Amino acid sequence: MSLLGLEDRQWIFLATVVFVVTAALGTYTALKLHRKARRPYTLVLVSFGWILQTIGLYARGLEYGGCPLSNQFELVQFMVWSAIALYIFVGPAFRVSFLGMFTSTFASVFSILSLTIQSWDSPSRTPIFGDSPWIETHAALALFSYGVFGILALTSVMYLLQSRSLKQKNMGGLFPYMPSIFELTQINFRLLTIGFLILSASLAIGAVYWSHEIDSVDLPKLGTTIVVWFAYGVLLLLRFRQTLSYKQYSWACISVFAAALLSLEAVDQPKAKESLLPDSAPPARSP
Amino acid sequence: MSTHHGELLLITINHETVSLEERERYSLDDEQIKVLYEALHRSPVIEESLILNTCNRFELYSKTSDPKSGEAIAFETLGSFYNIKREEVESHARIRFGQEAIKHLIEVSAGLRSQITGEAEIFGQVKEAYATCQQLGYSGRLINRMVQKGFQAAKLIRHSTPIGEGQINISNVAVDLSLKIFGSLKNTSALVIGTGEIGGKTAKALKSRGASKFGVASHHSERANEIADEWGGNPHTLAELETYLNDYDIIISSTETDSPLLDARSLEKHMDARKNRPLFLIDLGLPRNMDASCQEIENVYLYNLDDLAKIAEDNLSERRAAIKHSEEIAAQKSASIWQTLESRGLVNFQ
Repeated sequence: MSLLGLEDRQWIFLATVVFVVTAALGTYTALKLHRKARRPYTLVLVSFGWILQTIGLYARGLEYGGCPLSNQFELVQFMVWSAIALYIFVGPAFRVSFLGMFTSTFASVFSILSLTIQSWDSPSRTPIFGDSPWIETHAALALFSYGVFGILALTSVMYLLQSRSLKQKNMGGLFPYMPSIFELTQINFRLLTIGFLILSASLAIGAVYWSHEIDSVDLPKLGTTIVVWFAYGVLLLLRFRQTLSYKQYSWACISVFAAALLSLEAVDQPKAKESLLPDSAPPARSP
Repeated sequence: MSTHHGELLLITINHETVSLEERERYSLDDEQIKVLYEALHRSPVIEESLILNTCNRFELYSKTSDPKSGEAIAFETLGSFYNIKREEVESHARIRFGQEAIKHLIEVSAGLRSQITGEAEIFGQVKEAYATCQQLGYSGRLINRMVQKGFQAAKLIRHSTPIGEGQINISNVAVDLSLKIFGSLKNTSALVIGTGEIGGKTAKALKSRGASKFGVASHHSERANEIADEWGGNPHTLAELETYLNDYDIIISSTETDSPLLDARSLEKHMDARKNRPLFLIDLGLPRNMDASCQEIENVYLYNLDDLAKIAEDNLSERRAAIKHSEEIAAQKSASIWQTLESRGLVNFQ
């Protein structure tokens, strides 16, 4: 749908450009100019990109009067939107320097992927989660938790980079601009807890809906969702009991997030669409 | 430099112009600075002045009403004040006029002219010197404008170039690394093994950045008690190291030992009990106090004297590489400040 003279995908394309510029500027400033891009500049740029993305998603949502969660393109965009929102609104409390640069890189990569792979923006115009506001809340919360887990994967990467630099005594590159490994372990724990609680709340809402309409949920979707929730739950328990080393824990956070992303495929699986799609669905869109 | 810029005169005696022995003669205390100001301002030719006196430099910035005689009067006054022949003072000094004097002030304030390139302390010293000058009433419109704008330019240099970045002495490099591991030192505890100077300096640097819990270990309990009393902290004997090792997050070792105090095998036993708490080993001893195998253990970060020295050297090289760009900024800013002074009629009277 067109809003303010631009199509929804065009707004999202512009947002992606802003995310790419932010990531490129942050990297250039650190590696070439040996300076850290100041947080206000990064925040303004990322927020600008986020506003453009919000307009794009809003335009998409207007088309079918609900949350734009009807195909993989929209699921990925909503997850990126959630991660950026978390950085903008909760990020300052984390006090993790350079998180803006990593978040914009994350947003750039997933946004470019979702814009490039045409099949992700399949011709579904009916939300795959149905039209109940509760099930929409369930879906939005689940994807928001994926945004949190995305940030967790980023801070895990930051931990591994910092720890490796300290071990190898390599003080160049991004090392001087990133936070201490202790701060990163603390923030990782908080992100895992927040993400797990949000995902649990989402599943609780989904379970209530499911118990009323037991046929509405496909087994692969239910299975993968429970596996992702269980995996993060186990990680949280292991982290709490200090069973894993921080290095193992960081790798686990990255791996589980990668697996969680793959589970989006199951969420957007054909059976669900077939049951919900009207007969005359519009064709896939191009930017 | 054209002579009509002589109304702003700088006389500088510093580590670039004379040896330490000579520089010592120009060192002043607060009372002497006051007396020198009075001596300079006895002449009506000296209208405004600013004296900067640090351990490495003596500098006099003056506004003179007569550029030709101002320089002679300033040297004459310095000669009689220090009881040194005027010619000798002249041979120790370098002179700068007008815009070049402003450029020099910017470079000094930004740490470009310091013996340790990029050190930050000098900025505070220039500020203090300016405050004294203002308090005594020897600054005027020219000095005020020059110093205030000069400070802005110096800050710009420090913020836009890596001139002051990275630590360049071993103790501070160790502290910086501790911060990269633990974030804040407030809740970390440090153990100093051996009672040598460098270990003491590192402990002091950690203390200055917030570390509060210390231990001191020595081969002999009397010595450990003695140093613990002096530095503050818990005394330990080295023979019992394994019993208190887990109480500490940072271990600074610089003791004489025939065999390593710690190796991977001895450390591994403690790692479970540490519950993922990192351990930072700073080995400042020669021969080395920690076996290189310690580094293989996860969550253990081992740095020896060479590692720390290399980081300090790399940081210094980075700072030196930034000098050229910093000087360009100083030249650009001094030209702009000089133009402002001209446009306001504060200089260039013929």
